[in-house]
Amino acid sequence: MSGFDASHSAAVLWAPECWPRLPQRLVEMLLHFCGAPDWLVTIGGLVAAAGTVVGVFLTGFALLSLIERKTLARIQNRIGPNRAGWFGILQPVADGIKMLTKEDIVPTKAEWFLHLLAPILIVVPSILALGVLPYGREWVPVPLDLGLLFFFAVGTLTELAVFMAGWASGSKFPMLGAMRAISQMVSYELPLMLSALGVIMVSGTLSLPGIVAQQSGFLLGFIPAWNVFTPWGLSAGLVFYIASIAEANRCPFDLPEGESEIVAGHMTEYSGFKYALFFMGEYLGLFAISGLGITLFLGGWQAPFPGLGSVPSWIWFFSKLVVVIFSFLWIRGTFPRVRIDQLMRFAWLCLIPMALLTIPAAGIWHFAGGGLIGWAVTVPMLLVPWVVLTIHYNKRLAPATRTYTFADS
Amino acid sequence: MTPLLILCPMMILAALGAVWLARPVHAALFLALALALTAVVYLAVGADFIGLVQFMVYVGAVAVLIVFSLLITRPGDEAEELLRRPRSWVTGLACTLPVFAVLVYAASRHTCLPDAAPENPSLSVESFGRVLFTTHAPAVLAVGVLLTAVMIGAALFAKEAHASSHTEPTRKPNTPGDS
Repeated sequence: MSGFDASHSAAVLWAPECWPRLPQRLVEMLLHFCGAPDWLVTIGGLVAAAGTVVGVFLTGFALLSLIERKTLARIQNRIGPNRAGWFGILQPVADGIKMLTKEDIVPTKAEWFLHLLAPILIVVPSILALGVLPYGREWVPVPLDLGLLFFFAVGTLTELAVFMAGWASGSKFPMLGAMRAISQMVSYELPLMLSALGVIMVSGTLSLPGIVAQQSGFLLGFIPAWNVFTPWGLSAGLVFYIASIAEANRCPFDLPEGESEIVAGHMTEYSGFKYALFFMGEYLGLFAISGLGITLFLGGWQAPFPGLGSVPSWIWFFSKLVVVIFSFLWIRGTFPRVRIDQLMRFAWLCLIPMALLTIPAAGIWHFAGGGLIGWAVTVPMLLVPWVVLTIHYNKRLAPATRTYTFADS
Repeated sequence: MTPLLILCPMMILAALGAVWLARPVHAALFLALALALTAVVYLAVGADFIGLVQFMVYVGAVAVLIVFSLLITRPGDEAEELLRRPRSWVTGLACTLPVFAVLVYAASRHTCLPDAAPENPSLSVESFGRVLFTTHAPAVLAVGVLLTAVMIGAALFAKEAHASSHTEPTRKPNTPGDS
């Protein structure tokens, strides 16, 4: 991070591993040879690095909005957008132009400043969080020692932004949406963070590149040593996966913006580009939380099979990202929306106990050093509660059979 | 030093906004701003861990809980709030003056600030946990007891509310042929 490093030879610069860092290196070189002072070189390089991340993920956002519509359409036996360009490839451009040219409406009862601040504050934490993820062996935009803590700390800003949006709109649906969103986010943040604790304990570091490095190597020569392939890691990863769907406000946990119930939740009174900013924040947040899940449990940029060292590591990260995001789309197309009481009960009575249980399991695994003893203790320790909770949750805690007052036949 | 000279006036302004503004939501948001600036102060003096934890706990949890309770309880109109101002002045001063006196006393014992921040020791999670659970174990235990008490209290409140909502007259279950 300290200015231009002349030791980087051209070979290193042009290696596929370093391609994503090319903009940063080029800007640093350019400034260096123009005789700029060191601090300017550093700042220019950082701006270029941030620009790379933002550029990659904004492109990803545009593509994802199209892929999501196409995938959902296929699941629902439709064709999806196919008018703008070849197979609808220009649909994101058309959407963007439409959003930019629409009128920006601020309701008369709204507080204009908070109303303006909310969509900005919802995008900022997602971009900040994307800045600390390790995308490749050589590509960590900001290598922080406390990266994981930073990720969660900036993520909490989203809740305040949602509150601002809901309250400043001065309308009932946004208010209801904000209440739902905050209670949901607060409830699901707990299992999210608790499930990450086991990873911190085993790897002994809060630095995200360090967590990825700890998952290197292969068991028995072919099973990657990712956290998800340990009993506690699988359990924690499952909790993390479900909680991250809820944190990202995705179906089946999309109550805060349930279209059939409260219009669009906290975004109801927004139009034009501010509305698009909410979507951007949501999708960037989805990328960030998926990226964190990949880093914590799926080995980050580590290759899934031995003998693939020549492939650039960032390709593995983005391949995993595509798979995880596609699973989110699939879930959205498959599951119906849950009710608010089911949502809360699921978080507090199922996810949080399971997340708490993975912490001692990770401790036992850590001190047993993996191996047969680790498996023998942690598998029953986690499997039995999962099975019992699932059965209990399905039978005892399921909502009572509904009685239909007017629709009985 | 320079970051502190910029940050501290901003913090004081935000804190003033938190106690001065009539609308509770504005006050709560200014409180969140003041707490966030405190986190930035920690980051500026090189205490990364405590800064991020401050941000996560106070901005992410405390401030969010305050605004959430504002959403649920819908405090009364602000005109009434303004009428109560003189009395709240007295209570406010009674609460803050002793704290301020303690702070002034503590500050007066250190006559000047050190010129440079001490070299930031590389803090591993392990060393942090070791200090937390050996040197500061009594404090951790005390906080644990406090939080358990709070949780039991919250559960009791929730149970009471749940029970009272069940005693309300419920709709007669419909019988076939009713409709």
